[in-house]
Amino acid sequence: MESNQNRGAVMAKMPTFNDLGGKTRYSRVAVVAAGVVSPLGSGLNETLDSLRANKDCVSPVTRFEIDKCRSKTAGQIPDDRLLDTGQNGNKSRRVHRATRMMMTALEELFQQDGSFKPELTVIGTTSGGMSFGEDYYRALHRHRGLRHSPAWIANYPPQKPVIDAQTAFGISAPCQIIANACASGTNAIGHAFECVRSGRYDRVLTGGYDAISELVFVGFDSLQASTPEKCRPFDCERSGMVLGEGAAVLALENLETARARNARILGEIIGYGISTDNHHLTQPDPSGSGPRRAMEQALQIANRAAEEVDYINAHGTATVFNDAAEGKAITELFNRVPVSSSKSMIGHSLGAAGAIEAVICLLALQAQLLPPNINFRSSDPGLNLNIVANESREAEIDVVLSNSFGFGGTNASILIQKLAA
Amino acid sequence: MNLRIAGMGWVTPLGRGVDAVWARLLRGDEATAQSISDSVSDRIYSAFRVPDEALKDLPPHPRLRRASAISRFAAAAGLDAITQAKSAIGQIEPERTALLFAVSNGGVVYTKRFYQGLVEAGAQSASPLLFPETVFNAPASHLAAILGITGVSYTLVGDGAVGVLAIKMAHDLLENQPLDFCLVVGAEEADWLLCDAYHKWRLLKKQPPIELFADPPRGMILSEGAGAALLSREGAVEIDAIDAGGNFSHRHEANEILRRIVQELAAEHACVIASANGTFVDLAEREAIKREQPKATVYSLKAALGESVGASGIWQMIAGAQALRSKRLPEIAHSNPNAGLNFPTSDEFSYRKAIVLSCGLNQQAAGARLSI
Repeated sequence: MESNQNRGAVMAKMPTFNDLGGKTRYSRVAVVAAGVVSPLGSGLNETLDSLRANKDCVSPVTRFEIDKCRSKTAGQIPDDRLLDTGQNGNKSRRVHRATRMMMTALEELFQQDGSFKPELTVIGTTSGGMSFGEDYYRALHRHRGLRHSPAWIANYPPQKPVIDAQTAFGISAPCQIIANACASGTNAIGHAFECVRSGRYDRVLTGGYDAISELVFVGFDSLQASTPEKCRPFDCERSGMVLGEGAAVLALENLETARARNARILGEIIGYGISTDNHHLTQPDPSGSGPRRAMEQALQIANRAAEEVDYINAHGTATVFNDAAEGKAITELFNRVPVSSSKSMIGHSLGAAGAIEAVICLLALQAQLLPPNINFRSSDPGLNLNIVANESREAEIDVVLSNSFGFGGTNASILIQKLAA
Repeated sequence: MNLRIAGMGWVTPLGRGVDAVWARLLRGDEATAQSISDSVSDRIYSAFRVPDEALKDLPPHPRLRRASAISRFAAAAGLDAITQAKSAIGQIEPERTALLFAVSNGGVVYTKRFYQGLVEAGAQSASPLLFPETVFNAPASHLAAILGITGVSYTLVGDGAVGVLAIKMAHDLLENQPLDFCLVVGAEEADWLLCDAYHKWRLLKKQPPIELFADPPRGMILSEGAGAALLSREGAVEIDAIDAGGNFSHRHEANEILRRIVQELAAEHACVIASANGTFVDLAEREAIKREQPKATVYSLKAALGESVGASGIWQMIAGAQALRSKRLPEIAHSNPNAGLNFPTSDEFSYRKAIVLSCGLNQQAAGARLSI
């Protein structure tokens, strides 16, 4: 152990973990398969159709009582669109809806690439099987109905839907479940990207999920972060978010091994940025410095200039503070690049949001389409943004950026590019 | 692999401070259980709680003014780990430091209070002050703000194995990113609701002691607190192997995963810091150790400190490091003498390695090996 007198010298000569001798060679990271279920639909095709149709997927909440809430709507997935857990050898019919969402998304992924065997699984979520916790507490409170409580308790933890879903498809990879609030999905993809990029892993399964729950719905309502109106990201009369739900998964693989086995390649993740701003637990730093650092870092990792970005899928919750901070950062960093928020169509699916939006970015690259920012009426004069207002449109796009920011001051951005055939 | 522990912090029902808690464990002290009740039921449970005096010198910070116990435990452990590391290796640059927060149940006290208000008084009465503290990453956010960490901060959720999984993730992070340090913190707070849940899951005892490796298992007692380890290239104790293990769908499958982990980490002159807690975990670990590392001395903290779930993996890492540094392991007061395992005696040992074996209660298992 070094003496205190030698501290400075030790620090000065200590190399970082990943630049020993400057020999680092990074791997390129391909997305070889993806699966999604969201209010836009089940699967990539339905999702793309809904994007093209500028579909508003927000509807009245029916799953729990919302009489006393300001907000009455959310982006929801009908249960009959989710994979039945009786399939794929999972005998339990008491699993959480979130498990069924994960299974639905995974089924599509493995239909695209059945030979993908991940060494690691990294998934983002915010609330796991929260509604089972609610069922349990309500049963306790009314002193009856507790016979189901062991199943509720067993299926409540956030890792459970992931482990059960991947087990149903014969996957036994260790699971890392990131709960970084609304940035969880993008953080999960970003960490998975880094694991493959570093050469430490060849194949990582990643994504995010969240199912709507009363506690979270009422929580955002109590903060007056959710709106009784339409969700209008970046609009000058925006009044807040609506909640959503869903799941999306991406199969990340070292590009060389993917090409060697002739895997279909949906896109390439080329950059990831993460920052933490310590301004406030629930509000972003109004300067936009946190989002800006995340976006700058993603560009730097990708070795790309801001001018090379063709489209930004913004976090865009439609809250006054988020959109102002994000809009400021985008305005400062980019020159009128087209921007839209998919939350205008499906609401904010929290831990799933970053993963669903990453899939939307892949579809945008594939279809050469700018996804719309619906419900948009008038520009915010404080923001100089090029909003893809109300209707999707065709465009030549090669590089897209996807942002996710969350409670706790966590900011994450990923950069995805189209790969030439 | 060049991954070392540069500093540690420990907040437990036996008090705060790595050396202080270790000294008490070596003396044979066990935490005293407290009764824990709730207005929702007349059922009473026991839990090991962190004493108030353990946090009395926690520096005031605006972020901690309304924060829940889990955030305060984490802040104390994290600050202690940084302080210890600074005295050993010098300046710790926050911008070159990542924060990895391991948790299982999270801020359950405020979550329950928030939802209780919703159930009893309606959604219009739900507290906007409580809701943000219910989010899993609230404690990490507070700690990042206190320490000035502005880069990587992840909250990792899982079962009792999440602490060791966080060590694995920290290693990946340090290899992937231009970082010098990763502060890994595991924390948990106890609440009646958790006790009731584990009771309904048939894993909880109503009263201590926790009897380790009993067959059949007789149950565990929940506890709370935090552990922190600052990982770096410098430090007396090396983490020389990590096995991210895997997942088990049924409890009997835990045996095979644990056996593979012990097989992977097995080494001559290694003791085992087990996660045995009075449940099915004990039997799975017993079989794995007997088969793959039969001569090792086996120790578990949980008879003395209880099951701290999200914090437990980091507590085990601390125990392993302390065992190697002090060349001693505490004796276990309540273990099954017929388990076929070697339990610690009061003698000094010559082990140079410690295997940390971590099996959670909800499908995850992992392991790590420390050396000195």
